[in-house]
Amino acid sequence: MDPDAVAKAFVEHYYTTFDANRAGLANLYQDGSMLTFEGQKIQGSQSIVAKLTSLPFQQCQHSITTVDCQPSGAGGMLVFVSGTLQLAGEQHALKFSQRTEFFIS
Amino acid sequence: MEEQIDSVGKAFVDHYYHLFDNDRAAMSSLYQPTSMLTFEGQKLQGVEDIITKLTQLPFDQCRHVISTVDSQPASVTGGIVVFVSGSLQLPGENHPLQFSQMFHLSPTPQGNFFVLNDIFRLNY
Repeated sequence: MDPDAVAKAFVEHYYTTFDANRAGLANLYQDGSMLTFEGQKIQGSQSIVAKLTSLPFQQCQHSITTVDCQPSGAGGMLVFVSGTLQLAGEQHALKFSQRTEFFIS
Repeated sequence: MEEQIDSVGKAFVDHYYHLFDNDRAAMSSLYQPTSMLTFEGQKLQGVEDIITKLTQLPFDQCRHVISTVDSQPASVTGGIVVFVSGSLQLPGENHPLQFSQMFHLSPTPQGNFFVLNDIFRLNY
């Protein structure tokens, strides 16, 4: 399957899950996973999902502007995303960038 | 171990943008034939194509100002992934451009790192 298509499908799945059911992100991470969120470093699926589900908003909507991917060697894929995050009640959307590396097992 | 990753990431970032802002052609030392650059969506591979792209950007001078540097170990390859955000000042432009850039540094046999993956995006 085309790597760009795989990356795009992953990104859509990630943000759809984030926006609809944040706890469902747990199966995207493993014990060795790391998240650095606005400078805060977190490791492991449990801690990562705890951080994401405790963010100070109930609802959010990500709009994805760009998705870039490259193979990272050893069967992994690096994905670099930029977009905006709309929070309920906020007038202006927040801009964000996120990079992730995932492995298909 | 964590501090080592952070300090290698930061040292690399300082070196990368120093070369970029002062001697772009010298950046060839940072890449190898397997290196990939995606620059504003355009995909390039290998030292020659990457350096050609960077030295042909439509400005002679520029200055990167780095706001944030985040590093993580890339456990499978033994490398480091570095995520940078900052601004790019071009001469004659009133406002700096905001950018984000992501590097995957891979270890060399000599104990250094080279840039295996490089993705650059302006943030509008």
